[in-house]
Amino acid sequence: MNIKMKSIVTAVALAASFSAMAADPIRIGLSGPYTGGSSPMGVSMRDGVKLAASEINAKGGVLGRQIELVERDDESKNERGVQVAQELINKEKVVATLGYINTGVSLASQRFYQEAKIPVLNNVATGSIVTKQFLPPEFADNYVFRTSANDTIQSAMIVREAIDNRKFTKVAILADSTNYGQLGREDLEKALAAKNIKTVAVEKFNIKDTDMTAQLLKAKEAGTQAILTYAIGPELAQIANGMEKLGWKVPMMGSWTLSMANFIDNAGKNGEGARMPQTFIQEPNTPKRKAFIDAYLKAYNPPNGRIPSPVSAAQGYDSMYLLAAGIKQAGNTDGVKVREALENLKEKIDGVVTTYDHPYTHDNHEAITMEMVTMGEVKDGHVVRAK
Amino acid sequence: MEIFAQLILSGIALGMIYGLIAFGYQLTFATSGTLNFGQGEALMLGAMVGLTLVGHMNYWLMIPLVLVFGALQGVLVERLGVLPALKTKSEFGWIMTTISLAIIFKNVAENVWGHDDVTFPSPLPTAPLQFFGLRVLPMEILVVAGALAVMLAVEIFNRKSIYGKAVVATSNDRDAAGLMGINTGMVITFSYALSSMTAAFAGVLVAPLTLTGATMGAVLGLKAFAVAIIGGLNSGMGVIVGGLILGIAETTTGYYISTGYKDVPGLLLLLLVLAIKPAGMFGKSVIKKV
Repeated sequence: MNIKMKSIVTAVALAASFSAMAADPIRIGLSGPYTGGSSPMGVSMRDGVKLAASEINAKGGVLGRQIELVERDDESKNERGVQVAQELINKEKVVATLGYINTGVSLASQRFYQEAKIPVLNNVATGSIVTKQFLPPEFADNYVFRTSANDTIQSAMIVREAIDNRKFTKVAILADSTNYGQLGREDLEKALAAKNIKTVAVEKFNIKDTDMTAQLLKAKEAGTQAILTYAIGPELAQIANGMEKLGWKVPMMGSWTLSMANFIDNAGKNGEGARMPQTFIQEPNTPKRKAFIDAYLKAYNPPNGRIPSPVSAAQGYDSMYLLAAGIKQAGNTDGVKVREALENLKEKIDGVVTTYDHPYTHDNHEAITMEMVTMGEVKDGHVVRAK
Repeated sequence: MEIFAQLILSGIALGMIYGLIAFGYQLTFATSGTLNFGQGEALMLGAMVGLTLVGHMNYWLMIPLVLVFGALQGVLVERLGVLPALKTKSEFGWIMTTISLAIIFKNVAENVWGHDDVTFPSPLPTAPLQFFGLRVLPMEILVVAGALAVMLAVEIFNRKSIYGKAVVATSNDRDAAGLMGINTGMVITFSYALSSMTAAFAGVLVAPLTLTGATMGAVLGLKAFAVAIIGGLNSGMGVIVGGLILGIAETTTGYYISTGYKDVPGLLLLLLVLAIKPAGMFGKSVIKKV
C-alpha cells in the first residue's frame, strides 16, 4: 500500500513537472548591490530591469515563455559577486545575467559566465576593461556585453568639458582608492595627456573618509581651476562640503556618479553646478522616455518623484530589452546562440537611452557610443541637461 | 604657515573625536580590564537615535535623551557580553562577545534606518568662521569643547563624589575594593553605561560633520582604539594627546607627503609605542603577578 501510494505520488509529481516544462519560464539572473553605498544605483537598475521584464511578460513573454528574474544582492563585494555568479549559473541555471554596478565585482565574477558560455550584460559598471577581459586570441568568443558608457567615453567627455568647452588649463584629479576610482583616474590622465595637459594635483581618499582638507588644500595651493572626480556619492559630497569649509569654490566635474542622489542630497547647495556625463536624464523629452519615467514612478513611487539613479534605471531597462531581442532571434536559450544573436541583432530596439541599431558585433561589445551621452548638471537638487 | 595652521586645526578637530571615543575604551578597561569593541557601533547608534529624535525636537533637548539611550545600551552590552565572561573568569570571552554584539547592532541599524548615508541637520551655522585667515566650522569648535567637557565631567565625578571614589577604588584593585564592601559588579556595569554614553555623545557631536549611516562607526572605532593604545589604556591625558597626534599626523601627512599614505604615520607610531612602551605613552605599566 505504502509503496503503491509512493509511486502514485511520484507519477503525479512527474506529470506535473512535465506539463510545467512546456511553458517553463526563462530564468535570467540579476546581480547588483541592493544594500550599501552603491544601492541607489543597484536598486534603480533592478527596478528598471523588472519594469522591462513585466512589460515583456504582459505582451506574452519571449518565445512564448515568461521571463523570471532571479535577483541576488552582491553587496558591492567582489567575493560575494563570485558566490552569486556561481549560484546563478550552477544552481539557478540562468540563461543569461544582467547587472553589475561595481567594476571590481564585475571583473571578479564574469569569468564564470565566460567559462559556462552564458552571456552577461553589464548595465551599469563602467570600467574600460570590463568588456576586454576575454579577447581573442586567448578566447575565441567573448560573452561579456555592456549597455553603459564606459570610462574611456566618460573621461574623454569630462576632459572635453573642462579643457575645450570651459578653457581650464589647471585641473586636479580627486579619486577614491577603489578599483573604480583608480581605473577612472588612469583614464582621465590618458585623456588629459591626449590634450597635452598635465594635472596640477592628483589626490586619493578612502571610502568613508570624512575630512578632505589635505586633498583640497593641495589642489588649492597648486592653483587648480577645476576638480575632476572619480568616486561615489558620499565621498563626493564630502569634497563639495570641504570646499565650502575652506572658502574655496571651483567647478566640479566628474564621472556619472555625481548624479547619485546621495551626492546631491548630502552636498546640498555645495553640489550645485557639478557636471557629469549622462546616458539618461529624468526629462520626458521623447515619448519613449516619458512612458518610461511615468511607468517607473507609478510602479516604484520613489521619494520626491526622483528616480534614485535615472541612468542605472534606464540602462537596466534597455539591457532587458536587448537580451530579450537576442533570445527571440536565437530561437532558443542556448548561451552560444544568444551571444551570436546579440552580436548581430537584426531588430532595431527602441530603448530609453537610444535606438539600438546593431549595437554589438563579434568584436565590439559596447552598445553606447559617445554621441549617445550628454552632459548633465546638478540644479536645485535634480540633474538637468547642462546648457 | 597659514596652510600648516589650517591643517593643525583640522587635525585637532579630528583628533578630539578619536580621543573622545578612546576615552570610552578607557572607562571600562579601568574597572574591569575589558574593552567594548563595539565602541564605534555605540557611537553610530547614538547618532542614529539622535537623528530620529531631531526630527521631533531641538538638537540640544535631544542630547540628554541620547545620553540615556547610550547608558542603557552600555548596560545591555555589559549584561549580555561581558558579565558572563567575567563570571567564568574567561580571559578572552568578552573580546568575541563585544565584537559579535557590535555586528548585531550594525545589522539592526541597517534594518531599522536603512543602508544609506544621510546628512544630520547641523544645530550651528554651517558657514565657517574666520580667525586670522584660518577657517573653522562652528561645529568643529563644539566637538572639541564637548569632548573636553565630557572628559572633565567624568574626572570631577571620579575625584569628588563618593560613587566616583568607588570607581577609582575598583580600578586600583578590584578584589580589595570588593572586600571593602564596594559592589564592584555594579561599578563595572556603571562604567559600561558611562562608556557607551560618551560614545553616543560623540556620535551626535560628529554626525553633523560626517554623514550618518549604519557603517559610520567602524573606521572611527578602529582609529580610536589605536589612540587608546598609543596614549595608554589608563591615562586620561594619554587619549587627548594620542588623539591629537593621530589627527594631526593624518592631515599633515596627507598634505606634505601623499594622501595615499595619510594613515601610515599614526599606525607606525602605534607599532613604535607597542615596541618601546607597551603600556602607552602615558600609561603606567602594571606588573602582572602569576
